[in-house]
Amino acid sequence: MATAKSVHRVQGVDHTAFPTFDPAGTVKFYRDVLKFPVVHSICAAGWGPQKHPDFIHFFFDIGNDDRIAFFYYFGLEPYRDAGAPGDAWAQFTPDVPEFFLNSRHLAIHVEDEEDLLEYRRRLDESDWPVEMQVMHETIESIYTHDPNGYMIELTRALRPVTPQEDLDAALTIDALCEVAQGEAPSMDKLLTRKAELIVQRAAAWELAQLNESVADSKLVQS
Amino acid sequence: MTARIYVLEVPENEGVVDVAARDSQVTIDKVGPYFRITADDELIIDRRATGCRHAVWYSAIAGLEDSIIVQQDKDALRVTRR
Amino acid sequence: MVKRIGLIVPSSNVTVETEMPRLLSRVEGVDFSFHASRMRMHAVTPEEIRAMNAQRERCVLEIGDAGVDAVLYACLVAIMATGTGEHRNVELAVAEQLATGGSSTKVLSSAGCLVSTLEDMGARRVALVMPYMKPLAEKVVEYIEAEGITVADWRALEVADNSDVGCIPGERVMDAARSLDLEGVDVVVISACVQMPSLDLVDAAEKELGVPVISAATAGAYKILRSLDIPVDIPNAGSLLRIDAPVPAS
Repeated sequence: MATAKSVHRVQGVDHTAFPTFDPAGTVKFYRDVLKFPVVHSICAAGWGPQKHPDFIHFFFDIGNDDRIAFFYYFGLEPYRDAGAPGDAWAQFTPDVPEFFLNSRHLAIHVEDEEDLLEYRRRLDESDWPVEMQVMHETIESIYTHDPNGYMIELTRALRPVTPQEDLDAALTIDALCEVAQGEAPSMDKLLTRKAELIVQRAAAWELAQLNESVADSKLVQS
Repeated sequence: MTARIYVLEVPENEGVVDVAARDSQVTIDKVGPYFRITADDELIIDRRATGCRHAVWYSAIAGLEDSIIVQQDKDALRVTRR
Repeated sequence: MVKRIGLIVPSSNVTVETEMPRLLSRVEGVDFSFHASRMRMHAVTPEEIRAMNAQRERCVLEIGDAGVDAVLYACLVAIMATGTGEHRNVELAVAEQLATGGSSTKVLSSAGCLVSTLEDMGARRVALVMPYMKPLAEKVVEYIEAEGITVADWRALEVADNSDVGCIPGERVMDAARSLDLEGVDVVVISACVQMPSLDLVDAAEKELGVPVISAATAGAYKILRSLDIPVDIPNAGSLLRIDAPVPAS
């Protein structure tokens, strides 16, 4: 008898893709410095309705069978001025702040401190040293920009995520959706709404958790 | 007039809750996995006393009940009744 | 309506470009044009197969530029000599290359067409005639059997040079087919090769042997038509290609 398929059945990142104007630099960074294996490539042309140049689509493994991929289009010139803020894909005017530029990035997971330090060492010995190391609430990360200007983060968890953090995230999201669709959204409004949701839902959630663990332990005993 | 905030019970937030608890006009109870921290008057928490990293400090507050944050910086958190 | 068919052929192959147009020109109501790209190969050796496979990307790029509706990767023995099930890998690679570039070309291979046609025909036991030397012929047998089809009997004509294969006289192929033990055989593959000419023999062999007869070429034509949703009704090339012929009112 076939098992029923779960509601959530996707399996992670097949690939995240970016354009590059510097394939040699990109290969040097990902394959040679970070030692991510090259796992696939496709040589294609633009045959669809929209004209586009011949290109190579190439892939590096980033662990868990997930991949980061690049498109290199022969003869294509960058769509930005050399000095403009941004990366190979997006160019911004000088007034756009750095926090915004850095908000779009790929963060790759490592198992533990030893691995994080090893990747830190590889980057520091390269042309792309670590620019920043930050401890967040539950994770520690190192950051740099690749040859295309794409920000890359390598990160390790300091401790496993707890169930109450899942609840907290759910409440934040519910409050956010409401507040963001209303007048003049602000953190103040979000935290106020979230407090209401906490009062409404948190006690019942905890009870449900307790009942579940009692049921689980009964399952184990039986 | 009471100021009231909610703080999620996770290891990183322990410092915040401990320092709040030292204030005699502050009451702390639980709503599910959240600490409900109520101050009779204004709630003041000294950041350095908590030992919190920046990232933890600035995301410690999960909810505000009829209250408003008047200060949250590297020195302290101050919350008053709205 | 004109359908463009791309052909990727070993460079010395002349039969695909002869038989495929002859077959498909018999389709009523549809005109076909043929556009070939060549992969240089002289002998079916591991080194030459590797060198040939390295040309595949170039050939697909060239064919893609012609905007063909379907492409037939007609390097049958090279696929079969690489390893069982290899047609799936090659078809996937070619399809991926075309699809990534936004092309909607249908992708087929001669090896895949042969296997898939035998499955469509419900063939459990088949008999083959091949031009190859014995070791290569055995690889073809192994390839087909790996697909769950028993090769009850086979003949290898042992012609080494691919150009010579293109000149094998029809009588020699027919004699080989006649010599097969057809006990319990569902289908005879009168040419499991796309270079050995066999088109004129298919219908006659079927009538003489009393068993459905196909060739790698007729299987290819059948699958091309299926992929383009065109009714399969081609006269004088075996019953397979009459599968959609209207049944005469009795």
